[in-house]
Amino acid sequence: MSALLTMSAVTGGYGDADILQQVSMHVDPREIVVIVGPNGAGKSTAMKAVFGLLTVRGGSIVFDGDDITRWSPDRIVQRGISYVPQVDNIFREMSIHENLEMGAFLKKGDLSAAYDRVYTLFPDLKERRKTLAGTLSGGQRQMVAMGRALMLDPKLLLLDEPTAGLSPKYMEQIFQICRNVRDTGVAILLVEQHAKQALAFADRGYVLASGQNRHEGTGADLLADREVAEMFLGG
Amino acid sequence: MDMLELLNFYIIPGLVLGSIYALGAIGITLIYAILRYSHLAHGDLATLGAFIALALVQAGAPLLVALPATMALTALIAIGIDKGFYAHLRDRPKIITVMSSLGIALMIRAVVQVVWGVDAETYSRGIVRPEVYWGLRIKDRELWTLAFLIAAVVVLQLFLARSKWGKAMRAMSDNPNLALLSGIDNRKVIMLTWIIAGGLCAASGVFLGLNTELKSMMGWGMLLPMFAAAVLGGVGRVEGAVLGGLIVGLAEELSVLVLPGEYKAAMAFAILLFMLLVRPTGLLRGKVL
Repeated sequence: MSALLTMSAVTGGYGDADILQQVSMHVDPREIVVIVGPNGAGKSTAMKAVFGLLTVRGGSIVFDGDDITRWSPDRIVQRGISYVPQVDNIFREMSIHENLEMGAFLKKGDLSAAYDRVYTLFPDLKERRKTLAGTLSGGQRQMVAMGRALMLDPKLLLLDEPTAGLSPKYMEQIFQICRNVRDTGVAILLVEQHAKQALAFADRGYVLASGQNRHEGTGADLLADREVAEMFLGG
Repeated sequence: MDMLELLNFYIIPGLVLGSIYALGAIGITLIYAILRYSHLAHGDLATLGAFIALALVQAGAPLLVALPATMALTALIAIGIDKGFYAHLRDRPKIITVMSSLGIALMIRAVVQVVWGVDAETYSRGIVRPEVYWGLRIKDRELWTLAFLIAAVVVLQLFLARSKWGKAMRAMSDNPNLALLSGIDNRKVIMLTWIIAGGLCAASGVFLGLNTELKSMMGWGMLLPMFAAAVLGGVGRVEGAVLGGLIVGLAEELSVLVLPGEYKAAMAFAILLFMLLVRPTGLLRGKVL
């Protein structure tokens, strides 16, 4: 199976400083891939590189046959990658339904199929579609943010720490939703602080440290690796 | 003083003046919500609008035709000013744009003074006698001013609540980064903001000229009350700007009852100061300045 997304030896950062050093990773279709690592490892930076939010000075990023290395975010969105930032990822003063509508801003024509798809994945949101997003709880906000990102039918969904600050109950729920999203044919690349839980649920994982690749493998392999465990899983 | 006297000499003029302030304050609040700076040229842009309408009226156009034409022309001028000046400062600290808008204000005023002079003008000569409705003395133009404000606000609110681009404006005001990530074209949203703000700004100038007289400093004098109205109502909220405008207008007219008339203009300043100290988010919880 050919990869949906391939990052090859990507070097880059914000401004002049290179945060990523020769980072390589790939995501296959219908796969959940997690990036874990200690604080400051460049996890979120690696994801932002995919979405064109970074100055990439070396290497290449290929998505679905197109070299998107220096594309602008709006072009990347149209090509089929959606990104959910870690914070400020909803329109607080707009209703849930309007948040979804803004997610589909680039889409012409009838949106009802897209709404159906998102509301099927997030039944909680459908009941409260007129509610202002800013009044929701953290877990529900994350669902709105993911729902907004899914409105354009992306092939790849980028999630930056979707479970940050959520209770274990909501974390489990978000992971379950990720599996459901994957089962509709969307690949997911996510960054996680909760390394243990994330590796247990993801198909594959990458361990980054100091902006470089350290380990990669299936979630189970990485969890069993002693070096990875000592690094940050608390032994 | 009886009730009718209070209504005729203070409340009605206050509401008319407040409507004029509100039309300008809506633009100020929208510009702040989308572009995140205080537009100090708003008063003088209103002056320019008033004088463009004067030129059209003197050329023989009825005011009913001159008003929409003026709004369209002023909207175009506002877009031109944005493209010529403010757009180049978009990525710089906002205070630079605020200061440059002060420069634009002086430029617009100079143009008005060169073209139309510094003498007071009116749209029509002669004294208009108010009509009397159940003891209330109301001039036609006062009714028009109020009616225009109501119509403008209803249309604008419907546009913001229902239309795709209206929602895009709200999204941009709410979370500009996420709006960009969603593929919303910020240049179109900014242009739309200037069309609405410029058009309503021109209307406020025309109605001020209609209810009083046209002077090259008329808009500059209106700037502080318009800002007071926007802050009072809650920056970023259209309904807040309307509420704020009406309150500031009423407060200015009613202040004459307790203060010497010269202090009328100080009311807006007092309201602005009070709100910034006590409740900077405004009555309707706008953005924190």
